[in-house]
Amino acid sequence: MAYVATRGGERAIEQSQRLFKEEMGPITPERVAEVRRALPYLIDRVMGEASLYDEDLAALALAQTGGESYEAILLLRAWRTTQPRLAVAEPVTQETLFTHRRISAAFKDIPGGQLLGPTLDYAHRILATEVLEGDTHVPAAVTPADTPAPAQQPSVAAWQAANGLLTAPEADQTLGNAIPDVTREPLLFPAKRAHTLQSLARAETGGVLALGYAAQRGYGQAHPTVNELRLAEAEIVVKHPRGTQFSAGRVKVSQAEVVSKQGRELGLGFSATLGWNEVKVIAAATLDLNAKGAPKGAATEEEFFLYHTEGVESSGFCIHFKLPHYVTFQSSLDAMRDARSTAAAKDKQPEPAE
Amino acid sequence: MTQCIGTAPDHNHEHMLSVLARADATRLKTFVEPLIADLGDIEVRENRTGLVMLPMRDTAQGTHFHLGEVLVSEAHITAAGCEGYGMRRGRDLEAAMAMAIVDLCAAMGLHRDVCADFVAAEATTQADDDHETLRRVEATRVDMETF
Repeated sequence: MAYVATRGGERAIEQSQRLFKEEMGPITPERVAEVRRALPYLIDRVMGEASLYDEDLAALALAQTGGESYEAILLLRAWRTTQPRLAVAEPVTQETLFTHRRISAAFKDIPGGQLLGPTLDYAHRILATEVLEGDTHVPAAVTPADTPAPAQQPSVAAWQAANGLLTAPEADQTLGNAIPDVTREPLLFPAKRAHTLQSLARAETGGVLALGYAAQRGYGQAHPTVNELRLAEAEIVVKHPRGTQFSAGRVKVSQAEVVSKQGRELGLGFSATLGWNEVKVIAAATLDLNAKGAPKGAATEEEFFLYHTEGVESSGFCIHFKLPHYVTFQSSLDAMRDARSTAAAKDKQPEPAE
Repeated sequence: MTQCIGTAPDHNHEHMLSVLARADATRLKTFVEPLIADLGDIEVRENRTGLVMLPMRDTAQGTHFHLGEVLVSEAHITAAGCEGYGMRRGRDLEAAMAMAIVDLCAAMGLHRDVCADFVAAEATTQADDDHETLRRVEATRVDMETF
């Protein structure tokens, strides 16, 4: 069996790209701005999976690819490689997050209370078809409280540790470029925890959900309960040349802990990503919770879920099957023809006399 | 030569930089326009976009890991032996340069009052925005009863 080299199709390829782009029409600054304004959660998802935070670039990538998210993410990751890394910010800590949404399904009375924030969890799923009849759907305005919520909320896990329900982790001293980085070094197994969490932060949402859901339905070892879920903004704390630390701005982040009983204590699974994408972080935290001791080849085994949820690689592998794979099965065909001619010759032989 | 007075970091420096990094880009650029003439010859040492890697601390095991990278604009300028620096999220190089000019003014001790007023006004706007956001968040606080 051998592949057959082929050539040609240059004009067809160019026309196919023109056809794709022509059907979408002109990409204007107004269209990009509208994508950014109208689709913030899609923008967040693309930024998280691309591992690059900039709403304008994410909106441009979506506009340019017609919402084909795999292509948009690939564009962003490719663009990212053209940019120098200027700095590594100070690590974001849970307690410093400017919190918009923070809930716990495991404990009702958590310190700081529960803030639902922006969510459709409890909404009637009714399509606003009146818009298609020419009406404008104007959502009801929020009635703000008299007093603001605290900007920062305490950690549920720290409260549990103080009550002897789990062991508080030791503070990591690794900082800056010393933090393991999968964009600069290969992912090897058993994976460094920093690699695992970074890979999950960049992972494809649907893939993480499928495998996390499998674990939640009983194909894992531990049933998760949401210990703490946050949608928040994090400060990007960088250093001025004179040494002053300051915030270069804020980015949206999601973070989830899931919890289950492990022996005499609670075990925690953790995940976080750029942008607001709570389904992804809950599913990813479930995989993290179930990874330890998972059998080889299980959906909850680290090597399995990290390889299969890397969206650019997995979509690229799937896409490559569309490219020419012309193969001659010469030896197989020769063997088939031999078998057929032998059978035919046998059929032609006269039957022996009785 | 102008004496650089902002050679050591102080608490106001952190506050000023953080406010400028989040300041409205149009207002910031408009504000610095008339200040430039008094700075003399300016050398732009850097004015570029780039990435800042953002790490986070994992609450389950305490590990520091990389969440992803953030696009920022950076400007590094000097004048009369003093330096000004700006870094802010996004790809607006002019806004980063404007931030660096305010920082340079602070280092040179120029336009102190107007710069302080601008930073104070922007800080108030940002604090008001945060306050309103948190009032809306507080409206979603849930008190659950157990039956």
